[in-house]
Amino acid sequence: MINNTIKSKKLNEEIIIKELDNGLKIFYMPKQGFTKKYAVFATNYGSNDNKFVPIGENEAIEVPEGIAHFLEHKLFEEPDGNVFNDFSKLGSYVNAYTNFNQTAYLFTCTDKFYDNLKLLVRFVQNPYFTDENVNKEKGIIEQEIRMYEDSPGWKVFFNCLRGMYHNHPVRIDIAGTVESINRITKETLYKCYNTFYHPKNMILFIVGDIDFDKALEIVEKNQREDIENYTGSIKRFYPEEPKEIKNQFMEEKMSISTPLFNIGFKDSDVGYYGDKLLKKQIVTDILHEMLFGESSEFFQKLYDEGLIDNTFGTQYVGNKDYGYSILGGESEKPKVVMEEILNYITKLKNEKLSEEDFNRIKKKFIGYHLMDFNSLEYIANTFIKYYFNNTSLINYLRILQEVDFKDIVERFNSHFTSENYTLSIVCNR
Amino acid sequence: MELETIRKKLDEGIHLNLIKTKKFKTNFISIYFLRPLIREEVTKNALIPMVLKRGTKFNKTSLDIQRRLEELYGLNFSIDVTKKGERQVVRFSIEGPNSDYLPLENFFQQKFKMLTEIITSPLTENNKFLDKYLEQEKQNLEKRIKARINNKKSYAVERCIEEMCKNEKYSIYKYGYVEDLNEIDSKRLYDHYVKILESSPIEINIVGNLEEEEVFETIKNTFEVPRKNVEYIPRENILKDVKTHKRVFEEMDVNQGKLTLGFRTNIPYEEDLFEALLLMSNILGGGPHSKLFINVREKESLAYYIHSKTYKYKSLMIITSGIEFKNFEKALDIIKKQVDEMKKGNFTDDEIEQSKKALITTIEALKDSNYSLSEFLLSQSITKEEKTIEEMVNRVKRIKREEIIEAANRANLDTIYFLKNRNQ
Repeated sequence: MINNTIKSKKLNEEIIIKELDNGLKIFYMPKQGFTKKYAVFATNYGSNDNKFVPIGENEAIEVPEGIAHFLEHKLFEEPDGNVFNDFSKLGSYVNAYTNFNQTAYLFTCTDKFYDNLKLLVRFVQNPYFTDENVNKEKGIIEQEIRMYEDSPGWKVFFNCLRGMYHNHPVRIDIAGTVESINRITKETLYKCYNTFYHPKNMILFIVGDIDFDKALEIVEKNQREDIENYTGSIKRFYPEEPKEIKNQFMEEKMSISTPLFNIGFKDSDVGYYGDKLLKKQIVTDILHEMLFGESSEFFQKLYDEGLIDNTFGTQYVGNKDYGYSILGGESEKPKVVMEEILNYITKLKNEKLSEEDFNRIKKKFIGYHLMDFNSLEYIANTFIKYYFNNTSLINYLRILQEVDFKDIVERFNSHFTSENYTLSIVCNR
Repeated sequence: MELETIRKKLDEGIHLNLIKTKKFKTNFISIYFLRPLIREEVTKNALIPMVLKRGTKFNKTSLDIQRRLEELYGLNFSIDVTKKGERQVVRFSIEGPNSDYLPLENFFQQKFKMLTEIITSPLTENNKFLDKYLEQEKQNLEKRIKARINNKKSYAVERCIEEMCKNEKYSIYKYGYVEDLNEIDSKRLYDHYVKILESSPIEINIVGNLEEEEVFETIKNTFEVPRKNVEYIPRENILKDVKTHKRVFEEMDVNQGKLTLGFRTNIPYEEDLFEALLLMSNILGGGPHSKLFINVREKESLAYYIHSKTYKYKSLMIITSGIEFKNFEKALDIIKKQVDEMKKGNFTDDEIEQSKKALITTIEALKDSNYSLSEFLLSQSITKEEKTIEEMVNRVKRIKREEIIEAANRANLDTIYFLKNRNQ
């Protein structure tokens, strides 16, 4: 069993790491004085992983869209009923989420942590799919899909992704479509499960005021015995994705008040992960604040002109094989906002970015990072996201401090161009 | 672990609530202004914080304010307007790393000063707000009011309450009304702002690793507001006979129907039965263990989400769900049947225990969020309760089956609201 501790003096935090013989890694961050205890059991498997070679086979298969999310729903089912009940009996709160790259199962409790942990480990490692319970879930997920169809924020975002990407599965809804989920069978679910829920592909993160040795004993004792060992990594296939965007303009009509817009800039600098990816993330985040944040002249100008309001915001998403910046909000004139942004970028290419802005925003990022450590949920979920990208939350502060102005200028020149953007609008019928 | 809370009266109607704790890496400060929820001022109250954050005497533009906040390691400044019973509460907060992590001199004072500056030293000309800022924020508020339809889930709940409480103050929308914006000019709004400073009950809530002396001194030296007669807000009326069930159908371009049921609980928060009501609602629709989740979602696959929630100050309970349009009658029948089961006492001891634990977990988890702690202290001060978190937990533990049944039988269905598609 591998045993390791990472410490951060600046944050006054530490993370203890253990690896079980079957490959499962367990991380613990002590948080003295907190009432809540939180655990996340996550697999490096999300809605993007639709083509892969199943464990023990040689040929790649393609599975229906939305299956990772469907699987997440179904894992809660056990032969003797729904595992929600068992958590409820302990007074804890259990939930799960699926995104493009991960599926995570989590609970929060204030009491009986070790019983909860046992339940979590057991239910995630014990799939129980039948034709009947798979069919029953289709109706529920159909209503989940319909709920998202009524969400203008979700629509404008996915249309933007569909505009940016030609082939990459990130353009497909995480829950799939009503048509695709109806093609899901228990056999395919088992194939996905056996491949991606192997302990080697999973991590467990626990945080709170916990006796780690006791927790570890529970996790070890409750591992499935019948897990096949395998060497090598899971073979996943993603379609070839051109660097160029697919459509520059996407529009949809819904019942809303002010039009919503998302402007996506597709990242062409992809293909790596680790600390390098984390650095790119931080650099891009700082750049967003410098260019479009509330402390930028640009934001204030557009705000004063009534083109944008406080709903305006930006985010960068970076993963190994894709990345994008999104600028979004509400505006009566999204096309004018788009033009302003393009003119601004062109103008800045000839002028210079402000080093003073850079230094000030760097300070802000240090403060915000410290603040994030108040939340157990944030710590656990961000940790797993970074971990699956082969880097660590604990490296964040160091990398942030290493970022210099030159990095920002370089990134600005390569990432924001007048060719690689999509404007997505949802407006009123 | 019991938290150390200090409550101190600073002036007529102004109180400080300080929670001393080392577990957060930040100091969190919230200043709340409490106003009566009335049509005459609701729109103005919503507008004021939006105008205040545009500029102060010392930082004349939002740009200056934002840059100052960033200089101080990204202080997080936020405002909001909420409805707590028939009160409109305007909140101003600031949060930033504490001096254990960033040893800046007088860091707490700087945070408190920045927050106070935005509230008490606005940029003005001739005792008016700046017209330019006012006009822009009127437009922004208009957009925000209209944006209510964008989130269909919350829209359906708000509309149900609005219909149910049609002739009561509680139906007033927290952000106010577009048609009332016309009347507001920079002079009228400024006068109203002065009135708010003079007459509102004010709660200053602070959470962090701080010494009381430092906090008292800072407030004394920084927070200066002119005070006149304080307008205390009367308790809302909550008891109402329900003679007929209202049914309201509204049409919109939606893909999913939103079914919402509004109940009068007829149990004021002062009554001992109040915790039993919380528990009743939890057994009925408080999560995946609840009757509604099991019967509507798991057994019949009719919905993805369904839950019930109580509204403390106004004594309401709302059940809400997203369903296919054609399943309206079916879902409604199942929901009503589950409510009847509660009234008849058809729930097990296990269900009681589960819901007790769920409630206790929620209550105890308050202690891990500085924002939630601050909101908790505010609610204590509104209701003049002195129950600690531990006492609340103990009260939940003691609830008896008969009390849950009684709470269920006190509740009356008042309004059924359904948001559906035009073509159905």
